[in-house]
Amino acid sequence: MLPAPGVFHFPWEISSGAIQEGTTVRTFGRLRHYQPADSRATLSSHYAATQHQVVVHTGFVEPFHPILEAQYVVLGELEITEGDGLMVRARVLNCVDGVDLAILQSAINEQRRYFRDRGGNDIQQPPP
Amino acid sequence: MHAEERYSDEEPPSMLWGLDPIYSAFARLYIKDILEMKESCQVPGIFFYKLHPIFKVDVLGTVVCKREREDFFCYGVDDGTGVINCLCWKDEQWKDHSAPVDGSKSQVPSRGGFNPAEQLKKLLHSQRCSSHLDIGDLLRVRGPVKMSRGQREIMASTYYKVSDPVLAVQISWMLEVPQLYRKFYDKPFQFPSSVQGSNAADADGDSASSSLLGRATRLLKDFLQDGDSRRWKGLQEKAPTTSWSCWTPWSPGPLPKPRHRRSGLIITSCFITENQDPAATPSATPSAAKRLHALSREALQLLQDEGRVFRRVISPDQVTENDRELHRATRDVIREDCKRAKYSEKGCHVLHILSGVRLRYSRNVSKAVIELVLRRLECNSEIISTSDNHYAVL
Repeated sequence: MLPAPGVFHFPWEISSGAIQEGTTVRTFGRLRHYQPADSRATLSSHYAATQHQVVVHTGFVEPFHPILEAQYVVLGELEITEGDGLMVRARVLNCVDGVDLAILQSAINEQRRYFRDRGGNDIQQPPP
Repeated sequence: MHAEERYSDEEPPSMLWGLDPIYSAFARLYIKDILEMKESCQVPGIFFYKLHPIFKVDVLGTVVCKREREDFFCYGVDDGTGVINCLCWKDEQWKDHSAPVDGSKSQVPSRGGFNPAEQLKKLLHSQRCSSHLDIGDLLRVRGPVKMSRGQREIMASTYYKVSDPVLAVQISWMLEVPQLYRKFYDKPFQFPSSVQGSNAADADGDSASSSLLGRATRLLKDFLQDGDSRRWKGLQEKAPTTSWSCWTPWSPGPLPKPRHRRSGLIITSCFITENQDPAATPSATPSAAKRLHALSREALQLLQDEGRVFRRVISPDQVTENDRELHRATRDVIREDCKRAKYSEKGCHVLHILSGVRLRYSRNVSKAVIELVLRRLECNSEIISTSDNHYAVL
């Protein structure tokens, strides 16, 4: 059985709580903290003068060599936990330090615009 | 509108699939579209994305699951729109070298010399690395779409691991694919109107008329070739001037030059007799007759430009380059002039032959005609070309 596709979402869309629990998401952010004992990492990104944080559960991708302050891309399911609230249970966590975030954002937007123009808005898109 | 609706739920006939360039290309579709596109009811294994026949696809995505079997890997690939299984066969050559080839454990380099054995080992190692993926790696895979246990999968004909440390490859892919969709995949492919049979006759517009002209020219050429120009002349002789109408069941409108009219009518009658299609005969409508006449004139003009047909002054008929008299005149010109000392060694130049033929036979022979005639005579071994543009009689 194949998992659901990890659709790109911006970290600020996830932290705002606009996306349903159980959705498979793909997002990015700078690694701020890593607590190996709890298998818990925090990615953060800066957008519209605010820091947005996404908590990542790293149980599935360990052992994993954290590089603090490096950019990461995470793919996994969105869960709501008691302690942390929203959390991404990572299936893939890749270090992509050096990525051009501006171009990445424009590529994500371009893909969304294409699906929106095509009409059949069946691929899950966050509200604009 | 009606025709469009009819086409939107009908796939094109399989005969025409090859005309669509997307059919023979690896289509860079989103996995979501690969999973959802409709399978052909004519040929299983061919799919349709917006009436484009799709056979092979090209996909880039993250490996999200992996199964290993004795001779293949099955990777689940996720491109952000869907997940599909990719069946990747293991390479025979590294199945034999089952001992792990470790690049770092190389022997002492032989003093900077080139060591083929070591290089081969390195090559094998890198090959093996690029064909062995883990979850989270980026995979590029190309191959036909197959059904396996009720699910679609890609049978990889080529696959490799993509090194993409800063997401540059993925970003350029994400920017490129929507463009491909907008420019090619989402646009319906227009099959050339000439292959759509009866549709061509109905359709107006430039493409339809040009294809009609092409067909007319071809028809005329065939007619001239298989029947010889004799048949053409025979046709004219058989049909006396007073009974043109016996070839043409309609009355043509007043035409400027009677001699155009004669040759034109023979050709139009040839179209009709060759077509054998009573429905195509524009009975009793002068405008249709005019159109047919114009078409035949245009077709003749094309043939004239090509050099296949020319107009003699002495008789008003169109004569083909098959004409025996022309052949004889050309041969005679070359034979006589080759006797002269000036041409005996090198042969006569094309332009010299042309002026000779013009003097002797008809002023209207063009260079294109004479070139065709010379080529034909040469094929029949009646003359030989001595050098570029020079000919002599054997």
